[in-house]
Amino acid sequence: MQVKKEIEQIKQKLHNSVDVADRVIEIGGTTVGLVYLKSMTDNAIFSGYIFEPLAKFEGELNFEELKKTIRPNDVTEIKEDEIVKNVLKGAVVIFLENSEQILSADILKFNMRPPSEPPTSPVIMGPREGFTEDYKTNITLIRRRFHDENLALESVLVGEETQTQVILAYLDGVVDKKLVKKIKKKLEDIKIDGIVDSYYLVTLLSSRPNSFLKQVGSAEKPDIIAAKMLEGRVALIVDGSPIVLTIPFVFLEDLQSSNDYYTNYLYSTLIRFVRIVAILLATLGPGTFIALQLFHYNVLPFKYLITIADSTQQVPFTPFIEILFILLLFQILYEVSLRLPSYLGLATSVVGALILGDTGVKAGLISPPAVIVVAIAKIALYTVPEQSSQITILQYVFLLIGASLGLLGLIGGMIYFLAYANSVENFDTPYLAPFSPFILSDNKDALFKVPLEEMTNLPKSFKNENKERFDESSGQEH
Amino acid sequence: MRVLDRNINAWQFGILIFILMFANKMLVLPSLLFEGAKMQGFFIVVFLFGLEMALLGLFFYLKKQYPTESFAQILQYKFKNVGKVIFYTLFLVFFLSKAVLLYNVTYIFFRNMIYKDTSNFLILFCFLPIINHLAISGLRVMGRTAQLFFPVMLLIVTFCIVVGFFGINSTVIWFDVPFIKILGTLLRHIAPFGDMLFIFIIMDKVVIKKGQWKIVFSLTGTAAVFVILINLIYMLSYTYTSFMHPYAIFEIMSFVREYGGLGRIDIISMIVIILFAYFHLAIYLKSFMLCFEQVFPKLNCIYSLVTFNFIFVIIVIFFIINLETTVVFGEQILPYVIVIPYLLLPIIAVTCLFKKRKKEGK
Repeated sequence: MQVKKEIEQIKQKLHNSVDVADRVIEIGGTTVGLVYLKSMTDNAIFSGYIFEPLAKFEGELNFEELKKTIRPNDVTEIKEDEIVKNVLKGAVVIFLENSEQILSADILKFNMRPPSEPPTSPVIMGPREGFTEDYKTNITLIRRRFHDENLALESVLVGEETQTQVILAYLDGVVDKKLVKKIKKKLEDIKIDGIVDSYYLVTLLSSRPNSFLKQVGSAEKPDIIAAKMLEGRVALIVDGSPIVLTIPFVFLEDLQSSNDYYTNYLYSTLIRFVRIVAILLATLGPGTFIALQLFHYNVLPFKYLITIADSTQQVPFTPFIEILFILLLFQILYEVSLRLPSYLGLATSVVGALILGDTGVKAGLISPPAVIVVAIAKIALYTVPEQSSQITILQYVFLLIGASLGLLGLIGGMIYFLAYANSVENFDTPYLAPFSPFILSDNKDALFKVPLEEMTNLPKSFKNENKERFDESSGQEH
Repeated sequence: MRVLDRNINAWQFGILIFILMFANKMLVLPSLLFEGAKMQGFFIVVFLFGLEMALLGLFFYLKKQYPTESFAQILQYKFKNVGKVIFYTLFLVFFLSKAVLLYNVTYIFFRNMIYKDTSNFLILFCFLPIINHLAISGLRVMGRTAQLFFPVMLLIVTFCIVVGFFGINSTVIWFDVPFIKILGTLLRHIAPFGDMLFIFIIMDKVVIKKGQWKIVFSLTGTAAVFVILINLIYMLSYTYTSFMHPYAIFEIMSFVREYGGLGRIDIISMIVIILFAYFHLAIYLKSFMLCFEQVFPKLNCIYSLVTFNFIFVIIVIFFIINLETTVVFGEQILPYVIVIPYLLLPIIAVTCLFKKRKKEGK
C-alpha cells in the first residue's frame, strides 16, 4: 500500500473537506500515514497517545510494533473499505508503507452538553438528569441503573447518508424476544437517506404512519426509560437525539408521570383523575359550550342562560366564529412564546393573554364566558403535555362537530374517535389497553394507583416474560 | 373489502348484550304498556325479559354443542343451503326493521327534548357515519369501544334509577286489567324485544372460556333488572298518567329536578340514551352485514353497507316521520317480524337437538 496515494484517495472521497487532516512521518525508513477529522477527534489524545509515541519510536517499525506503540484504548484492525467510515466516526486511521494491514484508533471527541434536567419533564421529587445528544452518554445513564448482566444493547445503522446509530436497549429475560426481532427487522428495512432526530423513527415504526395518534413512547429522562424497560419494553437510543423512544406504547403511559411514583399513591390516584378530567375539558370543553349555546339552550339552567345571553348580546360574531377566533389567538400566542427568546416570549404571553383578552372583552369583540371556556381548555391541555398535539387537533374537530351537530354529534364523535383508537395496535399492543380491552391487573397502575408492593406482576397489556416483579414477603417481618 | 371480525371475549359479549337489553325499552315502551295494560304492563316487561334470557340459555346450549361452528354453518348442515338463505333473509328483514324502529323512537325523543324541531337529516347525519364506522371496524373494535363506555352507561343508569326512587308517588300496584287485554298488549308491543337474535349471528366470533357464561348472564340479568326497575319507577311516579309521558328514563327524574332543587339532572339521562342508541344501531347494522354476507356470499361488505343505508334512509325519510306512525309501525307490522327470534330460534334449536340425538342413537 502506498501511503501518500492512499491518503489522497481518502481525501478525495471526503471531498477535500477542510477538517480532514493527514500526517506522514518516516520512522526507521518506514513511511507511516495518519488520516483523521480535526473536528471530531481529541487533539490532546492524538498528540500524546499516537503522534508522540510514533515520533519517538526507534528501530524498525512493522505492524505489530505499531499496535504496541500507539496507546489509545480502542484500537482495531480494519479493512480497506472501512477506512472512510472509521474516519467519519472520529477515529484516526494509520497505514504503513507496503503493508496491507490498517489500524483504526477511536479518539472521538466533540463538545457535548452535560446531562441536565430536561425542560419537558421537570419533577418535584426524583432524579433530575436527562438524556443528551450523545448516544454513548445516554447508554451510560441507562447502564448506571442496571448493574446486571441482563441489560442488552444492540446496534442498527439507519440512514444511507447519516448512518445514524440506533441502539436497542432491553432487559433479557423480561422483554419478549419476538418483539426485539420485529423492531430490529423493521429498523433494518428502513430505507431513508437520513434521520436527524429520533422523531423520524416514530412515524417509521408506527403501524399506521398516517394516523395522528402517537404510537411510539418517548422520554427524556433515564429513570422513566429504566422503569419502562423493567416492564418489558424496548428502548431506542438514537445518536444525536436526547429523546429516547420506547416500544410498545399505550395511551396510559402519557397519563402517568414520573412524579406519580415519587409521591404518595393516593395523591397520585387523585392527580390521575384530575388529568382525565383535564383531557376531557381540553378536548370537549369548547365543543360542548358551543353545542349548548347553539342547540340545547333549553337544557341550560335559566340563570346561566341569562348570564350567557347578557354577555354575548354585544358580540358581533356567531358563537362558533367567536370561539374559533379565541382558540386561534391562543394558538398564535403559544407559537410565539415557543419561537421567541424566553424573556420576549414571556412578555408576549402576558401582553397577549391579559391585554388582548381584556381589551377584546371590553371592546365587545369577544364574550367573557367564551374566553374562560377557551382558557380552561388551553390550560387543561398541558396537564398531559405529551398528548398536547393530539388533543389540540381533537379540540378543533370537536368544536366543529359541536357547532354543527350539537350534543348528539359530540358523543358520536367521541365514539368514532375511541373506536378508531381501539383499532390501532402497534406491535400487537392495543392502544387503549388496559382500559379497553379491560385488564384488571394492569389497572393497578392506571387510573388508580395502588402501593408499589401490590404491583406484583409485569403489565399484561403487551407481551413480556410475565414474571413476578415483587416478592410479597420481602420487607416484612417474619 | 372484507371486515376483519376478530373474536370478542365474554366481557365484551356481555356488554353488547347489556346494550341490546336497553335502547328503546326505556323510552316510549313503558308508556305504551301502561296505556294497554295499566300497572300490569310491568309484568309484560318481566315476562318478555324472561323470554330473552331463555334465548340466551338457548345460545349457550348451541355454543356448547357447536363450539367453533357459526350459526350459518349449523343452519346449512341441518337445512341445506336453501334453508340457510331463507332464514338469513328473514334475519335481514328483522334487523333492518328493528333499526328503523329504534331510530324513529330515538329521533322523536331528540327532536322533542334537545333538538327543538330539528330536521331529520341532522340526526341522520349524526348516526349514519358513526354506526357505519363501528360496523366496518369489526366486532372486536365495537366490543372494545362499548367496553370503554360501559362504566359511564352503568353509572348513569344507576344514578337515574337512584334519583328516580325519590320521585315515586305511590307504591301501590293495582290489578284491574283482564288477562286477555294484557296478552293483547304483550303481542302488540313485543317489537322492542327479541334482539337476542344478534348473539346467534355472531356465535362463532365469541370466545367464552370455562365458567365465563356467568359473566354474560350477570350482565344480561343486571340490564334486565335495570330496565324493569325503570319501568316500575316510571309507573309508580306517574301513577295515573304514565301513558302521557313517553320518555321513561328521562321523566323519572323530573320530580326530583322540580322539587329537590337539584337542577337539570335529567340531562344526564340523555347522555345514556345517546350512547345506547349509537351502539344499538351499530349492532343492528353489523348484524345486517353479517346476514347479508350469508345471503349474498359473493358480494363484499360495501354492498351490504350501501343496501342498509339506502333502504334505511328511504324508510326513515319517506315513511316514518312522527310518533304516531312509529307506534303504528311498531304495533302492527313489527310484531310479525318478532316471530323470527321467538319462534324460529327454538324450532332451529330443537331440530338441531333432535337430529343430533338421532345420530348419537344410531
